[in-house]
Amino acid sequence: MSDTFFNPHQRATVEAAMARIIPTDDTPGAREAGCVDFVDRYLSGIGYIFAKPDGSGFEVLEGASAKAWMQRIEIMRERYVAGLLDLDARAHERFSADFVALAPQQQDDILHELEQAGTGAPRTLAVNDALAGPVSPQPALQQTSTEVDLDFLPLMVTHTRQGYYADPIYGGNRNRIGWEVIGFPGPASLKDVHIGRYTTLQYFAEGEADKVREFHDGL
Amino acid sequence: MAYKTKPARTDVVIIGAGASGAAAAKVLCEAGVKVVALEKGPWRKKESFGGDELANINRYNLWPDPILNPRTWRETADDDARSEMFCPVPQMVGGGTVHWQGWLPRFTENDFRLRTVAGDLPGTSLADWPITYDELEPYYLKVEWAFGVSGQPGANKFESRRSGGYPCPPMPISRYAQKFIKGCDALGWNAFPTPQAALSRPFNGRKATVVSAFAQQHGDPTGTRSSALNVFIPDAVATGNFELRPDCVVRELTLDSEGNIKAAIYQDADGDTIEQEADLFILACGAMETARLMLLSKSGRFPNGVANGSDMVGRNVTFHEYSAAVGTYDDPVYAWAGGGYVSASTFQHYEHDASRGFVSGGHIAVAGVGIPLPINWRMPGTPSWGAEAKKNDRDHFSHSLAIAMVLHDMPQHENRIDLDETVVDAWGLPVARVTLKPHRNDVDQGRYLIDRGADILEASGALTIRRVYADRVTGNCSHQHGTARMGDDGATSVLNRWCRAHEVENLYAVDGSPFPTGTGANPTLTIMANAWRVADKIIAERGAAV
Ligand SMILES: Cc1cc2nc3c(=O)[nH]c(=O)nc-3n(C[C@H](O)[C@H](O)[C@H](O)COP(=O)(O)OP(=O)(O)OC[C@H]3O[C@@H](n4cnc5c(N)ncnc54)[C@H](O)[C@@H]3O)c2cc1C
Repeated sequence: MSDTFFNPHQRATVEAAMARIIPTDDTPGAREAGCVDFVDRYLSGIGYIFAKPDGSGFEVLEGASAKAWMQRIEIMRERYVAGLLDLDARAHERFSADFVALAPQQQDDILHELEQAGTGAPRTLAVNDALAGPVSPQPALQQTSTEVDLDFLPLMVTHTRQGYYADPIYGGNRNRIGWEVIGFPGPASLKDVHIGRYTTLQYFAEGEADKVREFHDGL
Repeated sequence: MAYKTKPARTDVVIIGAGASGAAAAKVLCEAGVKVVALEKGPWRKKESFGGDELANINRYNLWPDPILNPRTWRETADDDARSEMFCPVPQMVGGGTVHWQGWLPRFTENDFRLRTVAGDLPGTSLADWPITYDELEPYYLKVEWAFGVSGQPGANKFESRRSGGYPCPPMPISRYAQKFIKGCDALGWNAFPTPQAALSRPFNGRKATVVSAFAQQHGDPTGTRSSALNVFIPDAVATGNFELRPDCVVRELTLDSEGNIKAAIYQDADGDTIEQEADLFILACGAMETARLMLLSKSGRFPNGVANGSDMVGRNVTFHEYSAAVGTYDDPVYAWAGGGYVSASTFQHYEHDASRGFVSGGHIAVAGVGIPLPINWRMPGTPSWGAEAKKNDRDHFSHSLAIAMVLHDMPQHENRIDLDETVVDAWGLPVARVTLKPHRNDVDQGRYLIDRGADILEASGALTIRRVYADRVTGNCSHQHGTARMGDDGATSVLNRWCRAHEVENLYAVDGSPFPTGTGANPTLTIMANAWRVADKIIAERGAAV
């Protein structure tokens, strides 16, 4: 099974769009973090849905869960294919070139246009909606997301953020770039969490870690 | 294991091995009762959990997959229902406790008699509980000691009488809890360390909880956080009287000629349909699924679902809503440390106060933002992509916190769970349909509590404050109650004070479904304490042999 889905043009377009979603400034952005690799692999099938919790590879999905995931992947593939065509069509209409060939500012213009055309959702979410983050259209502070329901742009925004911040095992967050940018001292690997070697106790209030250190050998 | 033949009759069948089912199993099995628990989901071991936000929060590793387990929601009976993962809870052994962080406050005395305290609230079906705080108090203590809850007795000055302390001292104090305490102090409000289902020190042969950034919504690979999966289930198994059958979905309860429950009909992992008979049946599927199963169990005697002669099954459902005021600070608060949840609380605005113009109040507590990463969260009111979004992530990640509230939504007769005959789950069964419209009281109370959160932020020196008012109840709190009310009157309730169905002698429910009101605090300590109380009653009445 190939672990890519996009053809070269689609891939270049997604990479360019992601580079506007999390741009490179004085710190690396989506391009450097390999967000396109993350999503290309995700859409390649169901071989990369759940990393094994000790970081030793990926779970093989079976039965009903495998079917549900394939159904979801198909929906997202269609959304990307159609969304990328639309992106190029808009780019041609306004600037007579493919999206990838545009200057960053022009790309932003197209993405803003798409955003407004999309669900009619405002560019900046109302305060009431925003706690859902880019994932869920519902205001919901702690609930599972249903990304498959999202329109193309919010879906790609979600995948960009996932690719930037999720554990590097999923193919994005290359060299922990996303974590370094925001200052997250993530675990060395999934295995560290799995065996209980990863702690954030030292970021607690002054002196608190010392109080409990005796209970945690080796931390 | 496939039961191609009919399994032997047993004393008690428990349906659902989550928080309440596991608690009841432990108590019954330890008294010598033979229990078979039928659990829809898998029996996962701690080795299958890890610190993977993408898998756990975005990809249904632990949350129910909405394609397999859909639900629908509508505001009123006149609207079309649409698919929505309303109030999901993990469906697996351990239920919702598998990926909680476990805030375990007790309810207060007045929670059990709010109708008396607050009077009539038009448009609601507000009711007193048939039991009192004092009746439940010994069971609160039992659960706290079984779980090794970390907390500080007396620190919550609004707490009702306790007959004992907590087994473990409070968890370490986070920097964001410090901000919260500072704000409350400045306002003259009481703050206390949130009681947690986590071990601040080794307890009962278990190690102290490893504090990491991956907690809330992540399963615990170390087994050090307390849950039904790693406390009650092993206790029940150790007795030798417990048989837990995972991957078994109960489709229906059947009746015998006397009108008692005869058997639970379930589908096992191989797709075989099995009939399990018992003397007594305990529903513990979570309030929504318990109501659904009752409604699915139609018979000549109960054409509208078992024990539903009163048409009360599914009605008066309450959920809580979780929302927050979000603040930013100059100095880092590292609110991702601790999985966003090791924190501090206040009950200052918990008790009913008529002068506020609405009924009741709720638990306010400080939480991290992000869980832990900005994948699933960003600062309210900011763009979702582009240079500014990136800057926001960078600037706020270590410098923001949320002061959250538990909204005590009011029970209403028209708010209910019923069956959506047009949408079926992966087992071909009609799904739970939620009809739910917030009461004016819910909206007003939510605004009030979030404004108090904002007061705390301001008093603690926050640079910016954003309020996220809850104008709709989305079920995002994953707290569900009320679908099979307990009460003394069979016309207005489904269960009696012992959580036994008024209309069916050998049928009990012990999850959140018996709760006449949802109260303003996290419910699971009370759910488990009540399950323990009911199990004790069953033992007392029938003896160990049932
Ligand atoms: C992310 C998260 C955080 C939470 N944090 C807290 C907290 O801090 N404090 C707090 O008090 N509460 C918290 N909760 C809520 C808590 O998890 C629930 O209140 C609690 O689990 C309810 O217990 P229960 O026994 O009613 O149901 P559950 O624990 O949901 O268990 C029900 C079980 O029944 C099974 N089941 C359902 N239908 C069937 C069927 N037909 N056949 C067989 N089995 C079936 C399900 O698979 C499930 O395992 C949290 C929940 C979530 C999701």
